[in-house]
Amino acid sequence: MPQNFDQLPEELQLATSAHVKYVQSLDTRKDEYDYWLTEHLRLNGLYWGLTSLHLLGRPDALPRAETIDFVLSCQHDSGGFGAAPGHDAHMLSTVSAVQILAMVDAFDELETRGKGKAQVGKYIASLQNPQTGTFAGDEWGEEDTRFLYGAFNALSLLGLLHLVDVEKAINHIAACANFDGGYGVSPGAESHAGQIFTCVAALTIAGRQDLVDKGRLGRWLSERQIAGGGLNGRPEKKEDVCYSWWVLSSLEMIGKTHWIDKDQLIAFILRCQDPERGGISDRPGDMVDVWHTVFGLAGLSLLQYPGLQPVDEVYCMPKSTTARVLGR
Amino acid sequence: MADQGGSQHGIARTSRVRTEEQKKRDLERIKKYRELEDQVRSHVSRGDYSPSVFQLTSKLLRLNPEYYTIWNTIGWVIMLDGVLEYFSYRHYNTIFHQLLVIVVGHDPARPRVPDSWEECAPDASGVRKDNNIEAATAAAAAAEQQDLSTIKTELNFTIPLLLESPKCYWIWSYRLWILQQAIQRLRSPLARQIWEEELGLASKMLGKDRRNFHAWGYRRHVVAQLESATLQGSSMVEAEFAYTERMINTDLSNFSAWHSRSKLIPRLLEERGADDAARRAFLDEELNKIREALNVGPEDQSLWYYHQFLVLNLVYPDKHPAMTRGLTTQDRVAYLRREVDEIKDLLEDYTDVKLIYEGLFEYTLYLCQLEGRQPDTGERADLVAWLGKLKRLDPMRNGRWADLERELGLKEGGGEE
Ligand SMILES: [Zn+2]
Repeated sequence: MPQNFDQLPEELQLATSAHVKYVQSLDTRKDEYDYWLTEHLRLNGLYWGLTSLHLLGRPDALPRAETIDFVLSCQHDSGGFGAAPGHDAHMLSTVSAVQILAMVDAFDELETRGKGKAQVGKYIASLQNPQTGTFAGDEWGEEDTRFLYGAFNALSLLGLLHLVDVEKAINHIAACANFDGGYGVSPGAESHAGQIFTCVAALTIAGRQDLVDKGRLGRWLSERQIAGGGLNGRPEKKEDVCYSWWVLSSLEMIGKTHWIDKDQLIAFILRCQDPERGGISDRPGDMVDVWHTVFGLAGLSLLQYPGLQPVDEVYCMPKSTTARVLGR
Repeated sequence: MADQGGSQHGIARTSRVRTEEQKKRDLERIKKYRELEDQVRSHVSRGDYSPSVFQLTSKLLRLNPEYYTIWNTIGWVIMLDGVLEYFSYRHYNTIFHQLLVIVVGHDPARPRVPDSWEECAPDASGVRKDNNIEAATAAAAAAEQQDLSTIKTELNFTIPLLLESPKCYWIWSYRLWILQQAIQRLRSPLARQIWEEELGLASKMLGKDRRNFHAWGYRRHVVAQLESATLQGSSMVEAEFAYTERMINTDLSNFSAWHSRSKLIPRLLEERGADDAARRAFLDEELNKIREALNVGPEDQSLWYYHQFLVLNLVYPDKHPAMTRGLTTQDRVAYLRREVDEIKDLLEDYTDVKLIYEGLFEYTLYLCQLEGRQPDTGERADLVAWLGKLKRLDPMRNGRWADLERELGLKEGGGEE
């Protein structure tokens, strides 16, 4: 892949300015019914959009002060964040809030104008099941390794991982492992790319990659790439831009990204973009959304597509952010 | 994180330009929606969880079933004691029922969504009989009979909905709640019967979508309940194993079924009280079965994954003792050698299937590992040749082949490391 963007043939050009405009337009669609129907994902959406812009090298394309005001307006006294003002606190929106504040370097405002880091940490820690070490998404109790990863992600960014029983959580992840090196949604469940990402990333954050069978997992992950260059999430399933990210980032974490054909994956992701109106979809020709946009861009960044900012494969945020926050 | 609401999967791209007419309609819908939302919020902010809030939340959820905060509001309504007193059990049930109808009721092909709250009331529905279990005069048996019929009606009602929306979390959650009621309200033989029928549903779902891992997880949950002492249950491992057999016979490529099989085997052999010879015979049968399958479909990853599972049992007996208990190292070497030879036979019919070469490559290395030696000259030549095939047949994974080549010192022309 040439280092200079202009030297690429047209079908391999990233429509950078269209993508920036697409993300910027997301919050101006208040006259569209769907805008209101997706309010329960607003904070997650902001994280997906802001990460996209940072990776595109346009971190200022959304106004910083308004971003911080909005995030803080979603916080509850418990320390947790809801998806939007008036929505209940939930693990996933709380993780997004922490990630957004980390990206715009505003943890100090969380202290002065919000409920403070310690309270956020307390909220997340309260969602751990003390018997099993797993985490629930909210007080209603649905458990999934997604929430365990979310908790580790946000707590480590806040420097508060010691608030939870890391060892119990790790034991739970180990119980989800399968003979093929992958991980399932719960003990006994078959391996699944999304769950592999959450489990391997949580183990990486906890410094316990020694538990991962890297050779076997790398092989399973590399076999997810199918004709056409995209990656699927399980054997004999269809390819998808978001699954491509779960698989690729997991390969990166265990140092095996070179076990797939990077150029073919780049070409697949680029075929999923809407070059005129911006945004990326699950497969070529489908409707775009900000979810597939961020995972498409993050994938391109990991694949060292020219002109993109480097992404952190564990946190799905710019490396510059995690380097600053985690002091590495 | 796995799938999220709000993301688009498999919806064809269209020009996102709306006509004036569409814009106007959107604005009207937004106005209605936000007014309703304001009403619900003003009740909730006053701590008012009265029945009238139910109606408003139902309406709102009809417009937007993904609105998790509103579902939580309903949870609060149900948990508050005053409300539970106000509603009889049957009403309470009906509320869930109505919400369920609303959630899945957008499609005209689905059962009609009731227009009013009253329509959902037990008396008006015709099908649902009033269930007044508190009535002191009613005989206990009659009450149970009534509970049973209510529970059955509710369960039957959701089946077409589940077939239509197999991944809707709220339908599964509602069903589990009803099933829990069966355990609490019915004598255990009756409750057991209900749960047994539930297993039938899990099978039906998996018949429709054989790889749906939500449905496989649900099946594991139902089986665990049926095995529990609460339902006077006992182990179902034999029946579940037979189920994987049926699923595999229908579709050899169903990795979910092979996976489930791999998880059941240790318990199965334990409960059969299998001695070493029986375990060995079992391993023979599994190997025969998968070999036959590979003879027909050597391009199928699912089959190779299960074959790998069996081979790993031979290579790492400490980790997987179930089928290999009592086998000596020589026994295990003999088993593995036979597998390698059988796979070599596949090459007579299939010359361009990369998974065959990958299997030969991997298992030959295991053979050396088991015997605690390096590959001999003949094996080395084979490994080099197979790796060459892999590079040619599967260039997508050239990075992996190059790593193997380097790690094993197999570079052509290069000597022993
Ligand atoms: Zn996707």
